Amino acid sequence: MYKFPQGHYVMAATQPLRLMLAILVLAAGFAGFLAPAQAATPAEQYITDNVQKGLTILNNKQLSKDQRRTQFQVFLLGLTDIKTIADYTLGQYRRSASPDDLAAFDDAFKDYALAVYQTYFNKFSGQTLQVTGSYPLAADESVVKTVMIDPAKSHEAKPLEVDFRVVGRNGRLAVIDFSVEGVWLREMQRSEFTSYLGQNNGDVPTLISSLKKKAQQIR
Amino acid sequence: MRKFLPFAAILAALCLSACGTSSPDALANNDPYEATNREIFAYNQKLDDWTLHPTARSYNRNIPQPLRESIHNTLTTLDLPVTFANDVLQGESKRATQTLTRFTLNSIVGLAGLFDVASGMGIPEHSEDFGQTLAVWGMDEGPYIVLPLFGPAPPRDAVGRVVDIFFDPTIYIRIKQHPWWIVGRNYFTLLDLRARNMETVDDVERNSLDYYAATRSLYRQYRANEIHNGAPGAPQPSEE
Repeated sequence: MYKFPQGHYVMAATQPLRLMLAILVLAAGFAGFLAPAQAATPAEQYITDNVQKGLTILNNKQLSKDQRRTQFQVFLLGLTDIKTIADYTLGQYRRSASPDDLAAFDDAFKDYALAVYQTYFNKFSGQTLQVTGSYPLAADESVVKTVMIDPAKSHEAKPLEVDFRVVGRNGRLAVIDFSVEGVWLREMQRSEFTSYLGQNNGDVPTLISSLKKKAQQIR
Repeated sequence: MRKFLPFAAILAALCLSACGTSSPDALANNDPYEATNREIFAYNQKLDDWTLHPTARSYNRNIPQPLRESIHNTLTTLDLPVTFANDVLQGESKRATQTLTRFTLNSIVGLAGLFDVASGMGIPEHSEDFGQTLAVWGMDEGPYIVLPLFGPAPPRDAVGRVVDIFFDPTIYIRIKQHPWWIVGRNYFTLLDLRARNMETVDDVERNSLDYYAATRSLYRQYRANEIHNGAPGAPQPSEE
């Protein structure tokens, strides 16, 4: 009887195992190759790039208070879609408001919102932003989840969770809301404005006047 | 935060609330007793301005940060049995294990909760209460109600706070039944909460056109986030 050389027996016996091993190694390598591809969505990248720019402005001690405020406002106008936010906060009263009132409201809201946003962003001064993920809300909308790392706090302290609602329209990404620990600012403003209008017979000019006063007080 | 909530206070508030009038906006906001709620809110705000706010500011200024942190750690460790009971009732086995581990580590290694050893070991803090458990079981929040002294307490959350009292093992320890224990612990819990959120609360008040409506929205959103354990679902899906 013909005997195969010893090595052939071994080869024949181990060939399926080697094949399986090779497939596993390839699969593992492929998975490892694919993993970085899902690292950052465009919305996540947008937040990583831009919000850190805003924090850099706030952390820049060489700027005067006025310079910091001006630069930060320019940054905020580029980051957000203020018109969309303003429209949302009027709720059902937007439908009954005149075009002139709506235009005046947009202007007043912009001043007010920029002052308010700066107040809240000032809290993150000295901190760094770290994107932790995102989830979709609609085809053109997603929520980017981040944490603010505060080097002044001990490593045990739970980092502050700050999320950004990002919309992509007309080839441009923009933030239309942000939340701190699950509380969304735009929702809060809408609740306030509609409640205020409810108590003032839906009079949008009264709201505009109050917004202007408030913006001055905040500054 | 757990707060002792006498049934009498709930009943009194419900009776007061029944006197309120309901505007279409109030009904749309599920706040049918808005007029009464606003009066109680104004009263609570004055109380805060006169007592809690200055005390919390003084506490922040005069008590060193590490000591404040240790007081906070002790208070949250005392709350962990309640969190554990509610983790179990919600079927959250992983979070229940985390809570049990946190309690064991922080009580023993962390010297009766003075030090948060567990967070340093990557076991994060979380909080559960029976109001959240009722929400997980499908109960609606009910109308928005503000109670004197205790602040926002819609029926689901008010019931939850009362039930949580019985999940707290310290009330069954005879030596701890002294009223000063209950008063002292709740006072420090309130002081700790106010002091830790001093700037945020002040900012919301300063930036608001309608502080009552802002607080109502903040409370509801914060509770929704707690009920979802921070998972997606809190933001409104789309514009009108």
